[in-house]
Amino acid sequence: MNNITVHCTVNHKPVTVETAPNKRLLDVLREDLHLTSVKEGCSEGECGACTVIFNGEPVTSCCVLAGQAEGADIVTLEGISPDGTPDAVQRAFMESGAVQCGFCTPGMILTAEALLAKNADPTEEEVKLAMSGNLCRCTGYTKIIEAVLLAAKMRREEARA
Amino acid sequence: MKPFDFYTPATVEEALELLHTHRESVAAVAGGTDLVLELNERKAAPAVVIDLKHIPELRYIREEGGRFRIGAMTTHAALAADARIAETCHLLHDATSLVGSPQIRNLGTIGGNIAQSSVAGDGLAACVCLNADLTLRSVRGERTLNINEFLAAEGVQKRNGLAADELLTEISFPVPDTKHTATAFYKLGKRKALAISVIAGCMTATVDGSGVCTHVSMRAGALGRYPMHFASCEEYLVGKKLSYSVMLETLPMMHDQILEANRSRPWSVFYKKEGAQGVYKKLFADILGQLGIEEVQV
Repeated sequence: MNNITVHCTVNHKPVTVETAPNKRLLDVLREDLHLTSVKEGCSEGECGACTVIFNGEPVTSCCVLAGQAEGADIVTLEGISPDGTPDAVQRAFMESGAVQCGFCTPGMILTAEALLAKNADPTEEEVKLAMSGNLCRCTGYTKIIEAVLLAAKMRREEARA
Repeated sequence: MKPFDFYTPATVEEALELLHTHRESVAAVAGGTDLVLELNERKAAPAVVIDLKHIPELRYIREEGGRFRIGAMTTHAALAADARIAETCHLLHDATSLVGSPQIRNLGTIGGNIAQSSVAGDGLAACVCLNADLTLRSVRGERTLNINEFLAAEGVQKRNGLAADELLTEISFPVPDTKHTATAFYKLGKRKALAISVIAGCMTATVDGSGVCTHVSMRAGALGRYPMHFASCEEYLVGKKLSYSVMLETLPMMHDQILEANRSRPWSVFYKKEGAQGVYKKLFADILGQLGIEEVQV
């Protein structure tokens, strides 16, 4: 087996990784790039814990081979607040109490970020649909949905200010 | 995952050359939502994996000569977002809108869904119901195969007729004439999202100017190895004036067929025969509403 070289943008920076082709994007992000916010949950595309933003869209990184990320623009939770200051979505999750064990939270926040980048003022139904691929086994979803709606509001207010 | 060599062709020609060279043990990966999991669980262990994500010429939705032509690498999300498909083909729109989850729809492709021919492939069931034609290409040339022949044939894997060196490149079917034709999809699953289909009901119906049924197609995914064909129900409806009560008369035939097909899995029969009837009542109401024949609340 020959190693492959993958060129992509990760968290707004160009990255070149030499890696084994029989790794998933999830493994490359965690093991090669040490981006451990990306969580491995079910490993079969059902839980959304390994969600990353891939060319602007949320995808489950357990379903993507390392080499398929060639040329892609990838954002993980580390890329949301590069200077360590939480952004509106992160603050809204804290304020709404939308986090319990926290395992699903990185994926939840990234899915919400991808939604809000396209739709600044989503309805509750649109939030529910957008978040339907992220499972949470502790909190239930009420506070998570509230948090995304609050984040949208905070962001619209930030834009106005 | 077992080790493999990985290639990223940029054109269909390059991909076909690679498939030909490595045909002894090769897999082409589309969206990855099935194959990457099979690789990870070592259910598939090809020596070579060829990525199709970087072939832009396989991503398109065109309307040409009265047919929809869909590139095999078109994602479920792209199909669900297409305005012409939403307008003219509720069946494919709804089937692709309900696959997996937003994340899965952003990755998974219609070509991958058909090539994998999973028992519960919703895109597959929809395309069978639409009687789609498939374009298969290899360095040996190009052939067009009806999806039913594709599923009946045996290729490199027992599941369908795809040969080791072939690539599914296009899916096409006639654009439904919405004046006389209605199409509908109803998925029965354990949850609204992230649920594999327990029954994926698909139906198309065409009527003439006086509401008499001239053509009908009834197929349901997840009831058997391949989308189940309710041929006796179809025969019963053709030539009759469509109404909810006439359509309900097909349910006993459907019941018998499911009973017969699931004899080896008796534990699921009760649920499936009841479930299928519920699914088809929804589909009948949807079809009749679209055709403006009758409003039925189910």
